[in-house]
Amino acid sequence: MPAIDRSALLFLVFGVVSLWLGAFFGLLGAWQQVMPGLFDVIPFVKSRPLHVSLVISWIFMVAVGGVYHYLPLLVGRPMHSPRLVRVHLFLWMILGLAVLGSYMLGRFGGREYWEFPPALGGLIAVSWFLLVYNFFRTAMQGRGPWPAYLWMWATGVVFFLLTFLEAYSWLWPRDDANVVRDLTVQWKAYGALTGSWNMLVYGLALVVMERISGDTEYARSRTAFLLYALGFTNLLFGWAHHIYPVPSAPWLRYLAYGVSMTEWILLARMIRHWRHTLDGAQRHQHVLAAHFLYASEAWVFLNLGLALLISIPAINLFTHGTHITVAHAMGSTIGINTMILFAAIFHTVDRVHGDTGTRVQYVRLGFWLLNGGLVLFWLSLIGAGMIKGWYTLMSDLSFQDIMVMVRPFLMSFAAWGIVLFVGITLLAVHASWALLGPFLRSRPVPVDRSTEAYNR
Amino acid sequence: MSHGRSTSFQGVHQRAIILVLVGLFAVQTALTWTSSTSVAPGRGSLSTQALIGRQLYQDHNCTACHQLYGLGGYMGPDLTNVTRAQGKGPDYARGIILHGTQLMPAQQVTPAEAGHLVAYLDAWASSGTYPIRSFDLTPWGTYLQMNDDARD
Repeated sequence: MPAIDRSALLFLVFGVVSLWLGAFFGLLGAWQQVMPGLFDVIPFVKSRPLHVSLVISWIFMVAVGGVYHYLPLLVGRPMHSPRLVRVHLFLWMILGLAVLGSYMLGRFGGREYWEFPPALGGLIAVSWFLLVYNFFRTAMQGRGPWPAYLWMWATGVVFFLLTFLEAYSWLWPRDDANVVRDLTVQWKAYGALTGSWNMLVYGLALVVMERISGDTEYARSRTAFLLYALGFTNLLFGWAHHIYPVPSAPWLRYLAYGVSMTEWILLARMIRHWRHTLDGAQRHQHVLAAHFLYASEAWVFLNLGLALLISIPAINLFTHGTHITVAHAMGSTIGINTMILFAAIFHTVDRVHGDTGTRVQYVRLGFWLLNGGLVLFWLSLIGAGMIKGWYTLMSDLSFQDIMVMVRPFLMSFAAWGIVLFVGITLLAVHASWALLGPFLRSRPVPVDRSTEAYNR
Repeated sequence: MSHGRSTSFQGVHQRAIILVLVGLFAVQTALTWTSSTSVAPGRGSLSTQALIGRQLYQDHNCTACHQLYGLGGYMGPDLTNVTRAQGKGPDYARGIILHGTQLMPAQQVTPAEAGHLVAYLDAWASSGTYPIRSFDLTPWGTYLQMNDDARD
């Protein structure tokens, strides 16, 4: 196996390990919310950032590993610098250990999602710069116009780096610092960061979909580019629904409201093509990766519906700061991103082994536990959010009184979290075992005959 | 399935489009960093004390449990107006930071550091009100109080 492929596969393996650990700390945090004091060695103040950072790391590792894995196939050339890929992997390994160590020791200092000491953020920026450089030097070698997924990846890698730096702009001392700017810039950066990694993940979904279906036209069609442009506009301007109640200039929030509503176009398109999706699901039911892609499409449908509703300010007034926001985040990261990333992983496993290389029945069981558990987990959060939102605005009850009313929903959320965790464990064990197979047996990767088709 | 007409973007166009997109991002960023988030004196500005408090808030990862303007963790209450809310106030906040409650552990900070944290929380309280309990909905799905801002 070429060394470059080994590094790409290791990104995927470490990504899966991050997911499992992240799910474990997420489950711990969920139970700590209903049983305060549970497992005090790792209190909630540590379990929450451990969960969030590890799950974000899962998305990065697999999305970036997917780019390193598929890009050479798509442009018909090896990565510009395989050594930089290895350096990137090494840096992330060091970073991962440093971040976990800092959380375990209770050393914070950063902001939500990046709670580790800010110096480690500098290392992330350097490692990401290596990706940007290597990506463009490789992608520019390809012939012909770029398909939509290369545009998505290009946008994702560049805007992640820019907005990540923006997320750390609070380190820059300013005489006119104020809390409104602090919060607005922070959530502007986070909204665009999420949009950026979504670009990487959705690009990966397009590649896997293209390879499964054999339809090489779609990613080059005007429709695909229009959807890309819509996603990009939302990445730039659609973030302010996070801060409707924050007293920044009204135009920021009205603009975000207007831009967010353009996503109804996506929803309408999905409904229009639903039959096509179902046909495809039946046609490709033997392909493991296809199951995850179709599940992700169902989650896009559910979660986009929720996102559109909570982007309407009058509804957001009730849902903001409640567990409905968590439901939206879980629907995005687990329902959409995780399904797409598992599709990419099991498609890679197919390539590496020439077959599924794993016990399909356990993967299918994991798939159903993950999706079934997630539906009920998601609904429990929405229930909790509705109670909290309504009573916070419409009554004089204290926070503690409202949380007592919310507790049954949080119990349900934590209980379904166990099912979710079992599903993730089954998938993680089988995915890592299958991905590690070539390392254990030194088996070569089969030649991908379809490469030429992608390099027209 | 019909996908529409194929596009034919080429090398120089790719770079030009990326430059235009980065340009749009820069304009939006410049506006967000300046005029659109400036505040009137005393409406959310961060004093030297409050800036120290901000770092302490991050060092103790208060955001894991608490929210500001509804953003943050869900274990504890929102702190936006804690220093100015009826029945609470700066002393109440300082007391909880130093001594904890049944559910929240006492934070390992000195009384002076607790003072910095309270100054930081007070900067939030001076910037606006959250949650918005009194609102007038419009037919456009917005509410009139979206226009209230700390820049007045």
